[in-house]
Amino acid sequence: MLIKVPSVANLGLESIKVDVEVNLANRGLPGFEIVGLPDKAVDESKERVRAAISSSGIDFPAKKITVNLAPADIPKEGSLYDLPIAIGILSSILQFTVPDKSLFFGELSLDGSLRHTKGALLMALFAKEAGFQDLYVPKDSANEAGAIKGVKVFPVENLFQLTSHFLKRKNIEPLAYQAILEKERTDVGRLYAAEFDMREVLGQEQAKRAMEIAAAGGHNIIMVGSPGSGKTMLARALPGIMPPLNEKESLEVTKIYSAAGSIPPGGSLITCRQFRAPHHTASPVGLIGGGTRPHPGEVSLAHRGVLFLDEFNEFPRQVMEAMRQPLEDGYLTISRSKERVRYPAEFMLVASANPCPCGYLNHPKKNCVCTPRQVRKYQKRISGPILDRIDLHINVQPVDATEFSDNQKNSELLEPSEAIRERVILARKIQEKRFEKDSIQSNAQMKNSHVKKYCKLAKEIEQLLRQASMKFQLSARSYMKMIKVARTIADLEGAPEITVSHMAEALQYRPKIYESI
Amino acid sequence: MGVYPCQNSITMENVITIKDKRYPELLGKIGKDAPEKIYYKGNWDSEIFKNCLAVVGSRRLTSYGRKITEQLVTEIASAGVTIVSGFMYGGDEAAHKAAAEAGGRTIAVMPCGIDMIHPEYQEELYNKILENKGLIISEYEGKFPPANWTYPRRNRIVAGLSKAVLIVEAGLNSGTLITAEFAKKFGRKIFAVPGPLTSEVSKGTAQLIKEGAEVVTEARDILKDYNISLTKPNLAKPSLNIEGIEQEIINQLQKEPLEADNLARILGMSVSKIGTTLSLMQLKGFINQEGGKYYVD
Repeated sequence: MLIKVPSVANLGLESIKVDVEVNLANRGLPGFEIVGLPDKAVDESKERVRAAISSSGIDFPAKKITVNLAPADIPKEGSLYDLPIAIGILSSILQFTVPDKSLFFGELSLDGSLRHTKGALLMALFAKEAGFQDLYVPKDSANEAGAIKGVKVFPVENLFQLTSHFLKRKNIEPLAYQAILEKERTDVGRLYAAEFDMREVLGQEQAKRAMEIAAAGGHNIIMVGSPGSGKTMLARALPGIMPPLNEKESLEVTKIYSAAGSIPPGGSLITCRQFRAPHHTASPVGLIGGGTRPHPGEVSLAHRGVLFLDEFNEFPRQVMEAMRQPLEDGYLTISRSKERVRYPAEFMLVASANPCPCGYLNHPKKNCVCTPRQVRKYQKRISGPILDRIDLHINVQPVDATEFSDNQKNSELLEPSEAIRERVILARKIQEKRFEKDSIQSNAQMKNSHVKKYCKLAKEIEQLLRQASMKFQLSARSYMKMIKVARTIADLEGAPEITVSHMAEALQYRPKIYESI
Repeated sequence: MGVYPCQNSITMENVITIKDKRYPELLGKIGKDAPEKIYYKGNWDSEIFKNCLAVVGSRRLTSYGRKITEQLVTEIASAGVTIVSGFMYGGDEAAHKAAAEAGGRTIAVMPCGIDMIHPEYQEELYNKILENKGLIISEYEGKFPPANWTYPRRNRIVAGLSKAVLIVEAGLNSGTLITAEFAKKFGRKIFAVPGPLTSEVSKGTAQLIKEGAEVVTEARDILKDYNISLTKPNLAKPSLNIEGIEQEIINQLQKEPLEADNLARILGMSVSKIGTTLSLMQLKGFINQEGGKYYVD
């Protein structure tokens, strides 16, 4: 007797349909075989399925069981085929029919319960596109699959419950998740999860202002300063001043996390901007993505969010260079001999670096003990092309808390992240409108043609900029960057045209200390 | 004088021995410390050794030290005094650079063989010195590598060539003070630039002043020892048309160099406004920036 149970295989962010064909033959020696290029996790599914069925109080049939995962030439990985295989076997022995237009997905535990399995969102998206109505997924993964409108998600706790459902003894209620989602989308605490509020950062007014500009225009930013000057704190406060993710962006981000298996049990749509801070010992594959089955790396997990690289010049050259493509194109393609996967990676790069190996160059109190040669070598570790793609350069000096009056120390009186965020959101709205007909969203993404179109400079401003590029030795690329930053500053003010003061402020953030590279 | 059996570029033309009558007179007077041979690059012209001033400063020159070096050396070198120094980064480099940029002549005494440039990334400065009819000299031939002991030995030549030594900044127990010690030993005059006592690299100069070095506040203090009077008196800077906020910023910066954040706090303005003003002022040339701090030129 042959039974077909539909399921999926996820390749990167794409899914394809996989038919799990289960044949129980009365002839032949009892046995259990899985064919169709299963990997180790799929092959081990035999043992899980056998134990889970027994634990559910059903005798495992002493027949020759053959499972084929079709199409047979695509490698299958993961534990998600446990449920479809078990359902195939059970429908044969308990005599229920597997419903049409349903997808099965999930890993089994030996006691018959279902465990959280990665990729539920990708499956739900596929189900919607391919016209499957019902999804049977583990309860812990149900919220994730339920984020997609237009499919019915059945949260399954264990095999016994599911068989009761099919035998019409006791029905499983489909998940009503959309309402919860709506609520979540308006929950401020969930939308802007930042470790620090900007008001907790004492002093550093200029750095804060630069952060505001970076968030408003999506500009990459590098902070150079001595240890303890608050670079990390500033970076960690950044998500709190970023605009919220819209529905489409939110789905994009969740897809990547679903593929990476990074959504926790019970988790659903990711609604806040992600802040990724990989350590500088991260491997190139960990950062960029890859592996024999290409997995998303940190750059993709930071999609639409912030990628914070602390101690930027400690990152290996190879890793830094590999970031050039995503910084330029906003996605990256991982090619392996067997498959090619494209992951989006449109992130805001926030880098921080020490000015020299000892860290105390230009420190007001401590003396630097590095020779110019060491400083040079240290600063040269940052790849020029990467530095060229960073719009805002700021020096962060250590703050002496005794310098502040009690008034200024009272963080209640400082501007909270929320107030900054409001300005940022307004500036983003202006940009959204500006780039309606273009394929970009923010000022930082402008190509030269956009700059020409949207950033008309008055003669005096052009003159100022030319004078500045002579005096500060700005490269041609830096020249364009200054215009983009000035555009964002103007947007923050709601000004339709760039003025002299916008441009002059933008010049504050020109490449400074590392400019000789 | 003999023919040198090296394969490198040294020929009879670019080495001077102590017996040569072109050997610098002052250097010959330092007795057994005087080097037997001097290898050189550039045009040997005995005139260059007539009026020499050694200008040395700490390797960790502060922006203050750099500014003072530039100011003094520019005036002294354009008055025709040859600036002698050791080609090290920091104080030496600032002195050579200011002299060459003022069109003056300068002598760099290398701690290594004459065919080497050390530190090698200062090649640009090396060429600049030669372009301005300066000299590169060393007592070591060929590709003799610099070593811990060659630096202090080099300093005796720096001091020996010069009538006087100007110390801009020096830490305690620094190489710069070694040059001062040699100057004392050879009976050369020592000038020292006063600096803030809180600065590590002003402690050496403070000690020299205590021991009787002459305090320098302007180029004239030194030039009078060379019997040169500045032909054009130091003109007051043409008054700039500065008003309002820019004047306030200048007033603050004249007290001490400050960061944008501090200025904003002191003047009670937003950083974006301060940033705008600072950029414009910098473009107009009123102020300069180094290491995050702004200062008045």
